[in-house]
Amino acid sequence: MNKPVDAPLGLQGAGPEDPALAHWRGEYASQIGTDRPVHNRSGIPIRPLYTAADWNPARESATGLPGQAPYTRGIYATMHRGRTWTQRQLIGLGTPAEYNARLQGVLGAGATAVSLIPCNSVFRGVDMDESHFELLGTCGTVVNTAEHMDRALQGVDLAQTSCALNDPSPFTLLAFMLAAARKRGTDWRQVSGTSNQSDYISHYVANHMFFRLALPGARRVLADHIDFCNRFVPKWNPMSVVGQHMQQAGATPAEAVAFTLSTAIQNAEDCIARGMDPDTFLPRFTFFFDISISFFEEIAKFRAARRIWAKVTRERLGAKDPRSWRFKFHGQTSGVDLTRQQPLNNVARVAVQAMAGIFGGLQSLHTDAYDEALSCPSEFGARIAVATQNILREEAHLTDVIDPLGGSHYVEALTDQMQAEIERVMGLVQEAGGMYKAVESGLVQRMIGESARHFQAQVDRGEQTVVGVNAYQVDEDRSARPVNARPDPAAMRAHVAAFAAFKAARPAAEVQRALDALARAAGAARDNVFGRVVEAAEAGCTHGEICATLRRELGFGHVQALV
Amino acid sequence: MSSSNLIPKVLVTKIGFDGHDRGSRVVAAALRDAGMEVIYTPPWQEIAAVVKLATEEDVDVIGISSLATDHLIVPKLMQALREAGLGDVAVIVGGIVPDEDEQLLLEAGVARVFHPGSSLPSIAAAVRELAAGVRARRTTV
Amino acid sequence: MTARPALPAGLPAGERRAVARAISAIEQGGAQAAALHAALAPHLGRAHVIGITGAPGAGKSTLVHALLGELLARGQRIGVVAVDPSSPISGGAVLGDRVRMGTHGAHERVFIRSLASRGHLGGLSRSTGAVVDVMDAAGFDTVIVETVGAGQSEVEILRVADTRIVACPPGLGDEVQAIKAGILEIADLLVVTKADLPGAEAAQRQLHDMLHLRAAAAPGSWPVAVLATRVDSDGRAEGLAGLLEQIAAHAAACGRGRRLQAAARRSSASGDVAAHVRHLAASDPLMQMLGMRCTGGGPGHAEVKLTLQPQHLNFNGSCHGGVIFALADSAFGLASNSHGAVAAGIDAHVTYQQPAKAGDTLLARAHEVSRGRSLAVYRVDVEGEDGQAVSSFTGTVFLSRRHHGSVQRDTD
Repeated sequence: MNKPVDAPLGLQGAGPEDPALAHWRGEYASQIGTDRPVHNRSGIPIRPLYTAADWNPARESATGLPGQAPYTRGIYATMHRGRTWTQRQLIGLGTPAEYNARLQGVLGAGATAVSLIPCNSVFRGVDMDESHFELLGTCGTVVNTAEHMDRALQGVDLAQTSCALNDPSPFTLLAFMLAAARKRGTDWRQVSGTSNQSDYISHYVANHMFFRLALPGARRVLADHIDFCNRFVPKWNPMSVVGQHMQQAGATPAEAVAFTLSTAIQNAEDCIARGMDPDTFLPRFTFFFDISISFFEEIAKFRAARRIWAKVTRERLGAKDPRSWRFKFHGQTSGVDLTRQQPLNNVARVAVQAMAGIFGGLQSLHTDAYDEALSCPSEFGARIAVATQNILREEAHLTDVIDPLGGSHYVEALTDQMQAEIERVMGLVQEAGGMYKAVESGLVQRMIGESARHFQAQVDRGEQTVVGVNAYQVDEDRSARPVNARPDPAAMRAHVAAFAAFKAARPAAEVQRALDALARAAGAARDNVFGRVVEAAEAGCTHGEICATLRRELGFGHVQALV
Repeated sequence: MSSSNLIPKVLVTKIGFDGHDRGSRVVAAALRDAGMEVIYTPPWQEIAAVVKLATEEDVDVIGISSLATDHLIVPKLMQALREAGLGDVAVIVGGIVPDEDEQLLLEAGVARVFHPGSSLPSIAAAVRELAAGVRARRTTV
Repeated sequence: MTARPALPAGLPAGERRAVARAISAIEQGGAQAAALHAALAPHLGRAHVIGITGAPGAGKSTLVHALLGELLARGQRIGVVAVDPSSPISGGAVLGDRVRMGTHGAHERVFIRSLASRGHLGGLSRSTGAVVDVMDAAGFDTVIVETVGAGQSEVEILRVADTRIVACPPGLGDEVQAIKAGILEIADLLVVTKADLPGAEAAQRQLHDMLHLRAAAAPGSWPVAVLATRVDSDGRAEGLAGLLEQIAAHAAACGRGRRLQAAARRSSASGDVAAHVRHLAASDPLMQMLGMRCTGGGPGHAEVKLTLQPQHLNFNGSCHGGVIFALADSAFGLASNSHGAVAAGIDAHVTYQQPAKAGDTLLARAHEVSRGRSLAVYRVDVEGEDGQAVSSFTGTVFLSRRHHGSVQRDTD
């Protein structure tokens, strides 16, 4: 949205104005000097003061209490006071052994769950022997086989620790993990975690990093994946609907929520069309959002999202179980707000973003390292990121009160306004025939592009300050910047050599049989493709082989080149 | 409207594995709004494909957007361009490039590196200048 | 006789960089572009040019990609010109067509060049046509021109093609009316894309109905065909074989060479014809020997002047009838060949009204009386300086399919 929004306020014009308020208005006008209109990123105008005239506590029934629909104040009765948010730091670098070392460090420092980021080559669906060597392991871990996954998660009890795997269709990393679990004797029914960012629509729209299969193929495989996990890995969240990519690509916070909820509706309706009961899969839908530094806007955004989702699941999708109505989300502090100039400033930014997410009621949080804008984060930066969460929780005591900003005239009024804007954009998607069609036609991409250009124009004009970039610049001593963390080339070469040896030694017939079965499944509507992926993983097939097979059958994803 | 002599032809593309293309889209749009003709590609272009494209479209400037260490294979691109006889084409890199790698790129023949925070007008001005230089140095057909 | 400018090295062999640089030179315009374009002339006529247009979202790029696949499988070398509109505000453009052409665009036997419309209708037509000529001269078997739109400027662009295809998405509804304007005038083939979608059959029927009315109004012309195609997201295509058959049929019937003839006709707007006529005159040995000068020319007309010398006279001391005939015939020859096609005289008639003498300057003016597909008739008036009629001449030519420039002469 690139124009200021006229959002109706709650009790405008209800009765004569309070004399004290009128007095304030007069004083404000005479003292303020030049005032300029302020809009937040979603285009909503922000006033200098909010009072009961803007939002009245008597409306509390619309807000509800924590753990009760519509969940504005939180999806659980206890929220962070009962169980703090999960500290889930995304990590990924180098070889599985290097990853494991860093993972142990982060767990020791207080993180309570695992998140694995694979190398970009893995994201693209190719094995290490098909990639430029220089690019292996620079931003994620090179995992191409079940064995690699086992090594990466060495020492982690898969029955006790929640693991988020950042891996889109066809979800080979989960397949590798399940193969590793079986080898260790761990019951799949105990395995918990998330197929992080399994939302193919958001990838198609905004973070093509993850886009491996053509749209229709990705849609099919996701539905198979949800089905499989429902039956065999019941504690696993197969559906992670992503708002982060679109917001990072330039969507306003309201647009990001609108598009994400529309995607969730699309995915849910696809499952319902396959005959699945919404109450069996909706409780396992999770969301993944960006948290920008627009502090109050983010808090209001999440509160509004909870309210809308509760309504949608109940009324539109027909879910009856209250667990289906709960908007569960993981928040990641937004790297887009971080700067390369004066990078230590980013520590302050991340702290503010994290607070917004916490006040917004997230279930799981990743804080960026301060050197995110310089390179893939260093261990030093990663430690500070975890410490930030610990400080907010244990020194600032942010978990002591549930939804502490609830009842604030501003936050509640803004929540209402964000809800209106989000629902307006959802209406546009609806008119276009639903999210899948809206994305196919390019409507969503165009809107995001518009918002991205609008924001950049504001920065270029100086209307939006970015400290150190367009204001408060200093001459920096570049040598003081941290040096890039790179994977050890020797270790990587050894990894590549071991991989070649592995391929040469494995039973070729078994591998081929598994790949053939996988190819056949892709052509048969009744077969579960993900089930075959798991079988292929256990037979020793590599990530690249699995992806190539499915690409051949289901088509390679091509991105729309829309500017 | 400017005469056809002066309309810079620019390729905006991404090589390597990264898929984040907000920056390259915004820059492509900005260059268009600055009156240039932009060939825009999605991410994950092969180096050979970029060379073929740059050859056929006879571009003046190639803009590489790199966020996730993909800049590490830009020297390979520079080599491929030279081998194809396109050594006179100006190449710029924008995105996240650590300081220690910037020198590496410049030595490989990259004309300029743009870091996060570079304003669009400054990028457009630099591209225009580079394109003019490329045209001036070229011999006529 | 003027020497022909040489082609850039590597161009006739289709060397990639040479082709690209030649196209850039054409795009830049100016004298150099004109010289280069003229140099291409002897090398034209090999490529069959297919033009494709249609509204945004009609599936053109997908169709082009599928066509590329088919033509590559037949061993062809294919050139593609993809035209995108320039921003009317900034003059810039984002040229995104070629990436929509997917994997075939990276094939060694495919050459893709993107052009921005640059706003000017006339300028674009000439530039696009000349760019196609570069590809023709470079030895491509097929050249595909792709452009967006269903309006007048896109109609102009398609005139550079031999076979013109309009892609129509299904579900046209009221848009059928919009498509009518201009596009149907020039389409040779209508292709309903995405034939698996609802509305595809209805669209085909609507188009058939519209064509039926037109065919009734213009009997004997090429019967415009309506086809349906469908391309999967992974490139598997249906209906392509039929489309290629129709393209070949059209080429055989009337398409082949059509663009070159049209280009010659169109270039009259810029005065290229005048230059062409002068060039012909300068390369005519008899005119040179007798001392004739071409003083003007255009499409279907020419002027030739001759100042009579002693060697032009007969035994009676007045201008030899053969000289007057030669003067009129020269103007006749220039006028009938001005359009670009090689015209051969098959019948001529002369009457002599008044004698002329040494020192007189005679002016012969030829103009076109009629011109059909294979015959054309011209009148030439020969006058003295005082405007008095000296002679009247009528001639008929046969218009061959050969083209000036594609004719190799022994003296070259």
